[in-house]
Amino acid sequence: MTEDLKPVSPAALGPDLTRRAFLYGTVAAGAAGAGGFTAFAQAAKTIEWWDQFAPLVPLHQKIWEEFSAKNPGVKIAYTQMNPADMMQALQLAFRSKRAPDIHSILTSDLSVTNQLSKAGWFAPLDASFNADTPFLKEALLEGMTVFNGKAYSFPIFSFRQHETSLWWTKPFMEQAGIDPTAGPKTWDEMRKAAQAMTKGRTYGLILPLQFTNRMANHVLDLAQVAGAPGRFDWRTGAYPFGSEPFVQAVEFLLSFQRDGSLHPASSSLDARQGRARWAAGEAGMFFDGPWNSGVVKGSFATVLDTLGAASIPLPSTGQPAFTYHTPPSGEFWISSQCEDPAIATKILQLFTTDAYYVGLAERMDQPPLDLSAVDRANVHPTYKTVVEGFKKVVRLAPEPLIKNPNVAQVYAEMKPVTPGVGEIVQGAMGGAVSNVKATLQQYADKLTAERDRAIKVVKDKGVQVSLDDWVFPNWKQGEDYTASHYKT
Amino acid sequence: MAMGQGAAPASAGVRKDGGSAGEIARQVWQSRWLYVFLLPTVILYSAYTIWPIVASIRYSLLDWNGFDSDGVFIGLANYSELASDPQFWNAFGNTLMFLVLAVPLRVGLALVLAVALNDPRLPFVRVMRTALFLPVVTTGAIVGVVMRFVLDPTGGPINVALLDSGLLDRPVNFLGQASLALYSAVAIWVWKWLGVTLIYWLAALQTIPKDLYEAASIDGAGRVEQFRYVTVPLLVPFLIIITLLTAVEATNVFDLLLTLTGGGPFYATEVIDIFVYRQAFAANIPRLGYASAAALFFGACIVLLAALQMAVRWQLRRRAGEAR
Repeated sequence: MTEDLKPVSPAALGPDLTRRAFLYGTVAAGAAGAGGFTAFAQAAKTIEWWDQFAPLVPLHQKIWEEFSAKNPGVKIAYTQMNPADMMQALQLAFRSKRAPDIHSILTSDLSVTNQLSKAGWFAPLDASFNADTPFLKEALLEGMTVFNGKAYSFPIFSFRQHETSLWWTKPFMEQAGIDPTAGPKTWDEMRKAAQAMTKGRTYGLILPLQFTNRMANHVLDLAQVAGAPGRFDWRTGAYPFGSEPFVQAVEFLLSFQRDGSLHPASSSLDARQGRARWAAGEAGMFFDGPWNSGVVKGSFATVLDTLGAASIPLPSTGQPAFTYHTPPSGEFWISSQCEDPAIATKILQLFTTDAYYVGLAERMDQPPLDLSAVDRANVHPTYKTVVEGFKKVVRLAPEPLIKNPNVAQVYAEMKPVTPGVGEIVQGAMGGAVSNVKATLQQYADKLTAERDRAIKVVKDKGVQVSLDDWVFPNWKQGEDYTASHYKT
Repeated sequence: MAMGQGAAPASAGVRKDGGSAGEIARQVWQSRWLYVFLLPTVILYSAYTIWPIVASIRYSLLDWNGFDSDGVFIGLANYSELASDPQFWNAFGNTLMFLVLAVPLRVGLALVLAVALNDPRLPFVRVMRTALFLPVVTTGAIVGVVMRFVLDPTGGPINVALLDSGLLDRPVNFLGQASLALYSAVAIWVWKWLGVTLIYWLAALQTIPKDLYEAASIDGAGRVEQFRYVTVPLLVPFLIIITLLTAVEATNVFDLLLTLTGGGPFYATEVIDIFVYRQAFAANIPRLGYASAAALFFGACIVLLAALQMAVRWQLRRRAGEAR
C-alpha cells in the first residue's frame, strides 16, 4: 500500500476518520518516516469483543488469529463475561462511552433486543456483509436482526433446539432396569426410573430450581409436548399458562419431589451446580440443552462416555408431540460506539461460513444455524442424538414481530411480570405456592394486562398495532410457520 | 478565639449590612486551615453519600431502563406502583421480620455471652472471645457461599450429623424450604455478627465500677440479684445504642442473602436490598427508576421509625421527669 505522506489536520480528513484513527495513522506515519520506509504502515486497530460463550472461545480464538494474520494491525481483544454480570457491565460501559466494539446481549428476549435497538446501542452491519445462504437470508427478519431495513446482526445457532433433553448416566439407568441407550420415553417411565435410582444419598433427578429462567423453559417445553402451543396461543393470542398442559408439566416436576426422588439440594442450585452434582453421581438424570455434551467434555471428561441422552420425554407415546421456537435473534452485535464497523463486519462475516458451522457443531454447544453441519462434524454420539431429536420435535413458531414490525414497540414498552413460571415452580417446590393452577393463571392474567397496557400506550402514539397481531389463524400443530405463512 | 472575636461586632450592630459579609469572610480566612482539612471529608461524603441520594431522588421520578442515556419523567408514578406491588410489600415485610427476629436475638445472645466471658475466672476466655469474633472478619458473601454447603441437604455436615445420629430420617432443607429459609438466614447472620455486639457489651460491662458489686455483695446480693439490680440498670443506656446500631446493620444484609438464597425460594428471603437489586440489575429489562423509588421509600420508612422511636423515648423521659 503506498500513499503520499502529507501533513493534514484532523478536520480536513472529514467525518469518516475518527480522532483515534487519525492518531494511529499519525503515529504509524511517524514510525514509517522515522524508519525510512516509503510505505504507509496499516493503522493498528483493536476490536474489543465481549461475550459469554465460554465453550466457543477456542473456535473463535482461531478465527480471530487467522483474521489478524490476514489483516496485520488488527487485533481482537476478547473478554469472557460472566452471564450474571454481563448486562450490568454493558450498561456501565455504554454510559461511560467505553462499550466493546462487538458484544453479545445474553438474552434472546425480543423486548430486550428492541429496547436496546431503540436506545441506540447497535450499529448496522457494514454494506459489505453478505448473507449468501438461504438459511441465513431467512434469518434476517425485521425487528429481530433487522431494524428499519438494515441488518444489524444474524443468528449463528439454529432455532431447532430446546433445553429439556433428558440426560442420564448409563449405570444409573441400568440399575433402574431401563435400556441405558434409549432411556425412558414417557413421563411415567421417567418417574419410575427416578424412584429406582434413589438410594441412600443418590437421587433420580436433579433440577436447577434457583435458575428460574431455565426452569421456565423446562416447563414450557414439557407443556408443549403435553399439548400447549407456546408462550401464547397462536390461534387466539391468549396467554395459556393457566391451561391444563402447563399445570400437568409443573405437577410432573413436583411428582419427583413427592416421590422423594428429586435431589433435595435442587432448590439452591443453578444449572452449572446442578450439572456438576449430576456428573459427580449424586443424581441419575438431568434436563439440559444440547450444550451438555460440550460442557461435560470440557469439565467432566471422565464421565462423558457413560452418558446417555434422548429427546424430551412425553406424557405418553403414540401421539405426535412438538415444541415450538421462534426464529432466532442475533448473537453478536456491533456497538454504536464501535469506531470501525467495517472491520467488525468483516470479522463477523467469518461466522457465516460452512467451516464455522462445522466448527461450531464440534464445540457441541447450541446447534449451528446450518443443522446439516452436525452430520459433517466430529461430535459425541449424545450430541448427534439430541440434535436428531430436535429435527423431529422442534418446529418454527409464529412471531408477531414478523407479522407487524410495530409489535417491536409493544415489546419495548412491556415491563417484566413476576412471579413468572420459573419462580412459581420454585415456590411450589419450596412450599410457598399451594395452588399451582391458580398461580399460573394469575401470571397469565398479569401478562395479558401488561400487554394490553403496552398496546394501548403504543396505539396512543398513533402506531398501528393491535391484539390481532398475536393471532395466527393459519397456524397448524406440527408445522413450521415459515415466511410464506405470514403472507396468507 | 478568632471566631468569638469576630462575632462580637456583628451582634453589636456595627456595620450590620456590608460589614457582616466581610466579617464572615475574615472568619473563614482566619479558620482557613480548618476548612482545608475538612475539605477531603466534605468532597468524599458529597460524592459517595449526598450525590447518590440526590441522584436516586431524581431517578425515582423517571421511567428508565438503563439502556437509554436518560429516562422519561413520570412524576410519582413509581411510588404509586410501589404502593400496590405485593412483591415490594413482601420484601418490606421480610426486612421487618428479619429485623424483629435478628436484632433481639443478636443483642440478647451477645449480652449473655458477654456476661459469661466477662468473668476472668472462666478458662480460655481470650480464646473464646477470639473464636466468637472470627466470623465478623469474614466477608458476608463468602459466609453465604460457605453456608450453602454447610446447610446442604445431602452432603452438608449439619444434615449428615442429624441423619447419621438417627435424629432425622430425612434431611432438612434449611434454605430450600420457604418456611425455613428466613429463619436459617437470621441464624447465620446472628452467628456472623455476634462478635461485634459481644465487644460492645464487654466494653459496656467494663464501665461498671467493681465497688458497686462489692457493695451489693456486702448487702447480701447473690450473682442473680447483682445482675438484676446492678448490671442491668447500668447497661440500659448501652442497650439503646447497641440496639440501634444492630438494627441499622440488620437492614444491610444484601451480600449475605444474595449469595445464601438469592432472595428465594419464591421471594421468601427477599429483603428490600435484594428487591432493589432485582429491579435495577437482575431483571432482563432493568427498572432503575422503580428500584430507586423502592430504596428511597424504604429509607424514608426507616427514618420515620427512628423518629418515632426518638419521640417515644423523649415522651417517656418527660413523663419520668414529671413523676419525680
